[in-house]
Amino acid sequence: MMNGGGGGGQKKRAPRIEPFRHRVETDPKFFDKSWRKLHDAIREIYNHNASGLSFEELYRTAYNMVLNKFAPQLYEKLTENMKEHLEDMRTCIDAAQGGLFLEELQRKWNDHNKALTMIRDILMYMDRTYIPTNKKTPVFDHGLELWRDTIVRSPTIQGRLSDTLLELIHSERTGEVINRGLMRTTTKMLMDLGLSVYQDDFERPFLEVSASFYSGESQQFIECCACGEYLKQAERRLSEESERVSQYLDVKTHEKITAVVVNEMLANHMQRLILMENSGLVNMLVEDRYEDLTRMYTLFNHVPDGLTTIRSVMASHIKDTGKSLVTDPERLKDPVDFVQRLLNMKDKYDNIINVSFSNDKSFLNALNSSFEHFINLNNRSPEFISLFVDDKLRKGVKEANEEDLETVLDKVMMLFRYLQEKDLFEKYYKQHLAKRLLSGRAASDDSERSMLVKLKTECGYQFTSKLEGMFTDLKTSEDTTQGFYASTSSELLADAPTISVQILTTGSWPTQTCNTCNLPPEIVSVSEKFRAYYLGTHNGRRLTWQTNMGHADIKATFGNGSKHELNVSTYQMCVLMLFNSSDVLTYREIEQSTAIPAADLKRCLQSLALVKGKQVLRKEPMSRDIADDDSFFVNDKFTSKLFKVKIGTVAAQKETDPEKLETRQRVEEDRKPQIEAAIVRIMKSRRVLDHNSIMMEVTKQLQPRFMPNPVVIKKRIESLIEREFLERDKTDRKMYRYLA
Amino acid sequence: MAAGGRVRFNVGGQVFETTTTTLANAGRDSMLGALLDSSWNVSSSSPSGGGVAEYFIDRNPACFAVLLDLLRTGSLHVPPHLPEKLLYREALYYGLLDHVRAARWGAFDGDRIRLAESVPGRAPGDGTAIRAAPDGGCCVAHGGAVRVYNWMLDERRPVSLDHSQVNDAAYLDAATLLIAARERLGKRDGGMAAFSAVSGDLRHRFRVAHDRQVKSFTAGAMAFDQESRIFASCKGRLNEYGIGVWDRVTGEQADFFYEHPGCALGDADKLQWLDATNALMVATLFPKADNCFIGLLDFRAKNVVWSWSDAGVAASLDDKRVLHAIAMEDERSVCVINQYDDLGFLDLRSGAGGVRWSSRSKLMNRKVPGEESCYPKLATHGGQLFSSMNDSISVFSGPEYVLTSTLRRSHGGAICDFSIGGDRLFALHNEENVFDVWETPPPPII
Repeated sequence: MMNGGGGGGQKKRAPRIEPFRHRVETDPKFFDKSWRKLHDAIREIYNHNASGLSFEELYRTAYNMVLNKFAPQLYEKLTENMKEHLEDMRTCIDAAQGGLFLEELQRKWNDHNKALTMIRDILMYMDRTYIPTNKKTPVFDHGLELWRDTIVRSPTIQGRLSDTLLELIHSERTGEVINRGLMRTTTKMLMDLGLSVYQDDFERPFLEVSASFYSGESQQFIECCACGEYLKQAERRLSEESERVSQYLDVKTHEKITAVVVNEMLANHMQRLILMENSGLVNMLVEDRYEDLTRMYTLFNHVPDGLTTIRSVMASHIKDTGKSLVTDPERLKDPVDFVQRLLNMKDKYDNIINVSFSNDKSFLNALNSSFEHFINLNNRSPEFISLFVDDKLRKGVKEANEEDLETVLDKVMMLFRYLQEKDLFEKYYKQHLAKRLLSGRAASDDSERSMLVKLKTECGYQFTSKLEGMFTDLKTSEDTTQGFYASTSSELLADAPTISVQILTTGSWPTQTCNTCNLPPEIVSVSEKFRAYYLGTHNGRRLTWQTNMGHADIKATFGNGSKHELNVSTYQMCVLMLFNSSDVLTYREIEQSTAIPAADLKRCLQSLALVKGKQVLRKEPMSRDIADDDSFFVNDKFTSKLFKVKIGTVAAQKETDPEKLETRQRVEEDRKPQIEAAIVRIMKSRRVLDHNSIMMEVTKQLQPRFMPNPVVIKKRIESLIEREFLERDKTDRKMYRYLA
Repeated sequence: MAAGGRVRFNVGGQVFETTTTTLANAGRDSMLGALLDSSWNVSSSSPSGGGVAEYFIDRNPACFAVLLDLLRTGSLHVPPHLPEKLLYREALYYGLLDHVRAARWGAFDGDRIRLAESVPGRAPGDGTAIRAAPDGGCCVAHGGAVRVYNWMLDERRPVSLDHSQVNDAAYLDAATLLIAARERLGKRDGGMAAFSAVSGDLRHRFRVAHDRQVKSFTAGAMAFDQESRIFASCKGRLNEYGIGVWDRVTGEQADFFYEHPGCALGDADKLQWLDATNALMVATLFPKADNCFIGLLDFRAKNVVWSWSDAGVAASLDDKRVLHAIAMEDERSVCVINQYDDLGFLDLRSGAGGVRWSSRSKLMNRKVPGEESCYPKLATHGGQLFSSMNDSISVFSGPEYVLTSTLRRSHGGAICDFSIGGDRLFALHNEENVFDVWETPPPPII
């Protein structure tokens, strides 16, 4: 080992002990020779002339250089050398004209990459040993860094590169076709050089240019386009940008460019677009433009506060249209039409939300609260809704099949839910139901009962218990009537008219002022027999005839010989029976002998004498109004195609103003005990409570039925204090105490 | 390339023939991979005409034979006459060193490991800690220096932080070593720093600032989470006790969790990041004044989400004292050990509750700890639990943690620390600072 090398034993002096040399001196020109070899090889590699090179030899050369601790110099030389090659490349790229610039850049990039791989192969040993211990950049990455600094970020190329890319994108945006493959490879190169290179050298300017492009474009569009048109454009632009990203940009750019387009095209013009006159959201809603609405919803979903804005505009539009609908005096004339319009409106918006707003919960909530708001603006809404149901459930009005009816009723229940004064609805519903049941005009028992079930599920048992009582009454009445006929001998009733009695429990039915009239003697006799039978079977009851609610079928033979069966009310029957004994009667005579209240009698005479086609009586003079001295006689020329003729009553379906006032008063009266009950319930459990809390809790408890008036609650509290259910706290007057 | 995929090598005069598929096992990143790559063989139609490409390599043929065998079979067989270091050097030339390391020993299994090597220590003082590197190397801290060994157990340059007493060392990755050191009175040294495990160079010094003022500190135990953060228990001069948090990439201080009264954090003996729980376990077992404390810190809410303390439990010296703690891998419980080598468990899912001591000490012939004893240590790996006591390490397996193996060797004295990593177990002995390397042998042939 000691003498093995060239430098070791040149001067031999016998007695001196040579110091032991650990390593043989290497050739002083070792580094230069070795580097020359690598240098030449690298040149051949860059010249695409690597076929003559021996990898093993080059690898061994580099290995030996590292082994002899020349790695730092080798690294330095390599850097220098690569830089030279890259500068040559830059000159070529600089020289490339116009459209060839990107292509040349691409070609050189490929060359460099390929060369770099081979250089890395040669210096692999250095990569494994010297690089990690000295925190240097590995050869391949170092080569990329050099490319970045020498080419991509050189003053001649940096600006030109980003300008070229942005120009190409601009021309693609304006509809030209560009070489996407070249774009892709170029952006890929930037990404390969590191995310920061892509972001700083391309993405940031790209986003800036895009922002100004779309800001300009949106300005231009918004001046001349309708909202729907504009949104279509925005949608197209958004999808174009996504496609661009998928074609030749980094995935992470997607979110950023989308944000730019959304911001420039939508967010900046949000108010103007949504509120655009003649084409904005309101117009889309009015014209049911589902497609535009869907587009608006999906686009503004990207914009902060976008959906909130759409929702509030929609809600205020619904409130406005709803308000004008419920307060239009024209609409108040026809309750059925009024409710039908409400239902149509509800359907319309349900559809829009379902189809265009992806059934968004918050939109449904806005819809509901808007309806709740405007329906209660008109205090007749409860009455009208009940009338609407009455119209649907009455026999013969419309022969709708039961399934359709079911869906209509379900929809009505939606409206019912919006009502604040549910007790008022109950009141009207009871009246209307009573009328239906007593006049035998309830279309179908099933539908009636299903409506009851709906109300019950909505408001609880208490709400419908009395309504159910009405149904029970009818059922038992039928049985009682049958029992009456079964127990009374037929001789006793011979020739007497057949009667059917409906026994109504007081309290279950809407209270009516009891207007008795003088019944014809035939009827009186049979009804007295019934009374005897009924009181005989039921102890301690009182029976009162409600003559204003009955109806009768009478057979009539007219002077011309035609025979008809007339379906009339009890009052009308009383009037007609008079003509069995007289030919002509004046109004006063009729009034005297029947004792029917004047208003009812007039109405009943009008329906007998003045309704076209159903003129059973004739009136002299032939005017609409009935005076005391007007005379009536049987119309001998009465004809009808039908054997059975139904004589309607000229009835005011809708309540007249005084009636309305009366109902309102009655409702207010009914509310008092309910409010008191609520106060007592609350106080019983809480014992002591301050005024404000009581008000709050009472309101909360009663809200499902009606909105109690604070003044009324206060009065009820006063009344309860008077009656010693409650007392005021002696020290704090605002506190109430429950007295057991 | 060559016809039939055959390749002929002339290595130092000896001819080998193999196939391109065998050589593909070397990978493109190796010298052999590059040698056969198409970019280096553009026009090499074999001049000999035999259809077989021949390459000359000026290296040792005996080693090439071993490495070629490794590429063929995936297993390493070193003939007795061939020095391992020679093989490693040749493997580095071909870029196959990682292949050799991977084939050198098998996947870690506490019940199959064998003593592979004993490395004599050269440190003057007692060792404080041994840490396994992810690649199978290790480092041993004694006194003011840390001795670093690569996986071939060659010693590298020792590392020190101003020669301050080292409290803890940890491998952030195979090439980066963190050191926590004590601050000496009057000198603004100590603290925590990152070193290159390869060259021993100082890479970064971690700073702690209180009220925007950088303060010197003593770092105790260290831990880091999966992605971004490094934690260390810190003691400042002016009672700035707590857990420091640094960003792993930038090395800048990210947070500081000041200790509340009743939970000692500043002189914690063990930190452990619980990934699933997203919390840091802090165990302070040798407190100066307070009681033993184990707690989980949540850094998002900045609170202690779970804690245990021996306040009122350990009254006299003979009582069971918790000496080491480790959170189990399922993060459901913390395992603790006392001076009698009893194992105990603390439930992490329920709030309070004492240590459930297992009855292991009754099974063992309980030996009153003599003078030679060291504090017991715990470790978990792959579902197994390891505990050191005196001169042996016990291995517990299965859901019930049944004792399945005992690792012991004849000399070296009590084990003062051990560590598992890179599929190896390193045990540092009290006497002579010798450390043992335990490895799992390659699986049997059949």
